[in-house]
Amino acid sequence: MTATEIISSGLLELHAAGLTTPDEAAMVQQMIAQFTAVEKEYNAIESSIEQYALASAIEPSATVKQKLFAQINAPQQEVQNEVEADKKIYAPIYKANKAAVIAPIWKLAAAVIVLLLASSVLLNVLLYTRSNDIANQLNQAQIILADSEAKNNENEHFKSVVQNKYSMPVRLNGMEASPEAVAKVFWMKNTGEVYIDPSSLPDVPIGMQYQLWAFVDGKPVDAGMIINTVKGNKYNIQKMKSFGKAEAFAVTLEHATEKPKSAPGGPIYVMGKLQ
Amino acid sequence: MFLKSEIKYSEDELVVLLQQHNQDAFSYLYDNYAGALNATIIKMIDNKELAEDVLQEAFVKIWNNFSSYDKSKGRLFTWMVNLTKNLTIDTLRSKGYRKQMKISKDENSVSEVKDSSTGIEKYDAMGIRKQIFSLKPDLRTIIDLAYFGGYTQDEISKNLNIPIGTVKTRMRTALIELRKNIQQ
Repeated sequence: MTATEIISSGLLELHAAGLTTPDEAAMVQQMIAQFTAVEKEYNAIESSIEQYALASAIEPSATVKQKLFAQINAPQQEVQNEVEADKKIYAPIYKANKAAVIAPIWKLAAAVIVLLLASSVLLNVLLYTRSNDIANQLNQAQIILADSEAKNNENEHFKSVVQNKYSMPVRLNGMEASPEAVAKVFWMKNTGEVYIDPSSLPDVPIGMQYQLWAFVDGKPVDAGMIINTVKGNKYNIQKMKSFGKAEAFAVTLEHATEKPKSAPGGPIYVMGKLQ
Repeated sequence: MFLKSEIKYSEDELVVLLQQHNQDAFSYLYDNYAGALNATIIKMIDNKELAEDVLQEAFVKIWNNFSSYDKSKGRLFTWMVNLTKNLTIDTLRSKGYRKQMKISKDENSVSEVKDSSTGIEKYDAMGIRKQIFSLKPDLRTIIDLAYFGGYTQDEISKNLNIPIGTVKTRMRTALIELRKNIQQ
């Protein structure tokens, strides 16, 4: 390429703008070094661009120069300053990006949502606790109801025993060992079943138990152990052994054993004859 | 130091002093070129604050890397404006900011210039500015894009809707006209 060719090509103008490829740049540099005419032309291009730029100048704020000189005079803080400069560059960009700026309405909305969420959690905890309480109360109520039903059943049973037309009540009165004690025996004439109501007997001393005896042909026969209490309540009525016939019934206080005694050993508390 | 120096340096003197890290020379350089470089950055970044941060960064680079300026390869301003353009492009790219040059819709860029201060007054006094801006709008546009917009040849070709091979010759035409206007 001759000097004239390169001057008219536009490559010099491109080069001054920094837009040439590395190969083109190397060639332009070589031509400038080699031909005075090319050098002169290139200088004229640069000068006119410089004039154009100076004519278009927009002066920056006065603080820029102050910051610049502060920065170049503090070389030990250079790295830090560069970081600072980076931050400053970041900040306006984020400001410029509208999506990154959270509008007050969204901040409010976020606050309301957080508040609602917290309230919901609190309410759940309260409801859960409450539901546990209710479950416990229900459980207790069911226990009470079951007790009540058991008692009711017992009462019904007692009533049915007492009101049975075949029922023969026998009143057992207190003897020397316990003059105040009373017990009732119900003997079913048709079946020979025997029931006792021990609720008016004195509390059983620890390690002792009551035993019912039926007098058959003048001899006491074991009629079963009496359970005095059930769940802390006095037993109203319970079924004992059956007898086809009996003349009298008596309750003695015996030492507690697994099996009922075959013959009475302890004192007689109550006794009564079949009418 | 921050007051404008009364001394005038020739470009050769300025280069020698800057190679020696002379702060008076650097202050003079700033006073004479900060406005022109700032205008270049503003053409690419439509944000005054951010542009001034880049401008400060550019002068720090000019100060620290002055030894890499080679006088034989061209004028000082050409080196500075290309360094500034590249720094601006790098900044925009690294921050995911899109290059968005406002192409001079002729009157716009003149009024933009009118708003600014000292740099312009200098040129008004010299009577050059009026001639420079009497350049045809399409020729001014290609100068703005190529020298101050950070545009590549390919981008210029797409922007002006002309073949890529025409970019060089169009630039040549624009510069010839510009030089004529300045010499008048």
